[in-house]
Parts: sequence; C-alpha cells; structure tokens
Amino acid sequence: MTINLTKGQKIDLTKNHPGLTVFKVGLGWEPNIGKSDEIKSKSLLSSLTRRISEGTEKIRGASFDLDSSVFLVDANEKRVGTVYYGNLDGPNGCVKHHGDSLTGRGVKGTDKENISVDLTKIPSNVNKLVFVVNIYECKSRNQHFGMVGDAFIHINDTNSGNELCRFNLTDDYNNKTALIVGEIYRYGGEWKFYAIGEGTNDVSLSEMSNRYR
Amino acid sequence: MTISLEKGQKVDLTKTNPGLKKIKVGLGWDIKTFDAGTDFDLDALAFLLNSADKVRGEKDFVFYNNLKHESGAVIHSGDNKTGLGEGDDEMVTLEFDKVPADINKISLVITIHEAEARKHNFGMVSNAFVRVVDSDTNIELVRYDLGEDYSTETAVIAGDVYRHQDGWKFSAVGSGFQGGLVALMKNYGA
Repeated sequence: MTINLTKGQKIDLTKNHPGLTVFKVGLGWEPNIGKSDEIKSKSLLSSLTRRISEGTEKIRGASFDLDSSVFLVDANEKRVGTVYYGNLDGPNGCVKHHGDSLTGRGVKGTDKENISVDLTKIPSNVNKLVFVVNIYECKSRNQHFGMVGDAFIHINDTNSGNELCRFNLTDDYNNKTALIVGEIYRYGGEWKFYAIGEGTNDVSLSEMSNRYR
Repeated sequence: MTISLEKGQKVDLTKTNPGLKKIKVGLGWDIKTFDAGTDFDLDALAFLLNSADKVRGEKDFVFYNNLKHESGAVIHSGDNKTGLGEGDDEMVTLEFDKVPADINKISLVITIHEAEARKHNFGMVSNAFVRVVDSDTNIELVRYDLGEDYSTETAVIAGDVYRHQDGWKFSAVGSGFQGGLVALMKNYGA
C-alpha cells in the first residue's frame, strides 16, 4: 500500500521492501492553463493583438518545458554525475531518464517524466540521488512555479508494479523557478526517500548543480 | 570510554561512575535547509518530573525563558538560535544532590521553535544526539544518536535522567511528539 508523504518526511525504501532493487521514479505536474483560458475567452481580440501581447505562447499552453534531472552526489555533498535530458544514462545504467517532455501535455495526473533506478548498479561513492525539476528558459519565457500546479513525485516498484510512496508538492511555489523535489539516499546500509519539496530561485540546471560543488 | 546507546536502552550513571555528582547533558544537531527555508531554531528543554511523570508546577520546566531551576539542580546553558558549530548546541547541567526529593526524573526534550509557522519538522534535522558528560572530568559517559525516525514530528523526547534505587540512570527514549511546546507542557501537567 502506498505511503502518502508530507514535506520533510523520510521513509525507508529497502527496509520496508526487502529485495527492492529496481524502481521507477515518476514526476508529474500541470501547467496552469487557467490564465490562457481567460485570454481565450476574451472576445474579439484579434489574433494580431494576441501575438503582440506578452505570453502568446502561454495562450497555446505549449511552451511550459519542465525538466526533471537527477544529481548523483557523494558523501561530501559533491556532485559526481548528472542525469538529465542531455545525458539520459547514469553510470553503469544505475539511473535512466526516459526522455524529455517538451510540452508537458498529457493526461492530467499521469507522469510527465520517468526515471528508472537500479540500486544494485549505483556506484559505491554515490551517497544520494537528488531529484530536481527546473523550468527551461524560465527567464526568457517569464515563467515560474506559481504557474504550475499538482506537482508530484512517486516511486513504483518495477517488479511488482506497486506504488511505494507518493509526495504531492502542495506548498506555494510562486516565483520559484526550480524545485528540489526529493532525495533517495543511503542510510545505515539501506536506501531511504526524503520528501523535500523546496522551491529555489535557480534559473537553470547548471545553477542548481552549483549547490553540490 | 563512552557508551553508545540504542533507542530504549537504559544505562547506569552513578554506580558505574562512583563519585559522579554533576553531569552536563549536551544536545546537538545539524540542519539542512535550502534557501527557501527560514531560520531553524531548535531548543533543548528539561522537565523535572515527580513519580507520576508530571511537573509540580511551571517552575519545574527549565528552558530558554527559565534557565535556572529554583533548586539549582538544573541549569540551562542558554538559547542557541542557529545550531552552528561542532559539538553540543545546547546544554543542561544537572547536579544530583540538589535535585528535590520528590523529583524522580529529568526529561530532556528537543523542540523546533515555531515549527508550524515556519513549516519545519525533524525531517530537516540530521545528526541529532544527546550525550551525558561528567562535569568534573569532561569525559563523555553516554551518547545516544537520535537517528531519523521523527521526520514529520516537531519535538523529540531525547532521553531521561532518572532515580534508580539510590543512584541515577540514563534512558535513551527517542520518542517523537506532535503538537509542539504547548502540547508537550500539557502532557507533563504544566
């Protein structure tokens, strides 16, 4: 039975599920299209006017490009690798990113991006996997997480298909451009998950990665 | 040599260390917040409890606003608002001979200041520990590392120093507590 997590919560993964080795981390979110609906319903605006006004792309709702990434971090909080849309495979295949959703379109509530993890293949110097989401080109597109709702992360056991835990991010992330969603980390010879859900002002993935230098 | 305790373990203090009159109970922690987080302030508290596990009154509650117990038996080192630095973040001195006769137990608790308002919980705290040090020799006698079990809670009863026969012992309690300082005080009859 899945565990619904609250912010700050840390739970056992392998201790509660002996034999757990391979699982999928799914991340989802909903671009807030309320604003564009409002604009669409404004009658009689010419398409020319709409194109001129800031946020033409928002109207079509196509340009919210959220990227999920994983930082592989050692025991000294140093980054030893990154898995993201530009590098889909972690060392030894321990982490595998299943691709970049460019539009964020899809059935509401389903995963937008998926990352597979194989615990047996994680290099011994990697102490934790930090799952983050940032908004691609947030500055030029003038976007922030106040415009995104229903963000969540969940972990599914690949062998059984069972959902192990889910964390719905419900804080107010207005004006934040990046999210540190959660961590999968070593603890006492086991692996645990820490539901972080913290928004930051990092404008790019590389700026986020500076936290783990 | 220090004894490392697991949750639930009880260990003797005075029989094993004859002549032990005064101890320092140190509490420490590290905090991990990201830039969105507001200041994290953990507080150590000591509750002087009678045989019914209750305080006799508000005076039996030693903390940042009441640093010295009227008996002089328990003295708090003061409020550390940032938790920075190695070693103990806050400390309570305990002198056995001064403990009032009807006090049976001193309970050491760590709480998160304004946890609800600041949206903090123990998930954001790591490496929390409680240790007992011989005040005269500065030798660490006992150490209990609190682990990670209280991630959604906002207070932890770390350990108890309690009378046993004609001596004193330490119990590694490690119980999370919901509801913050007020709920905790109510629990102890304050």
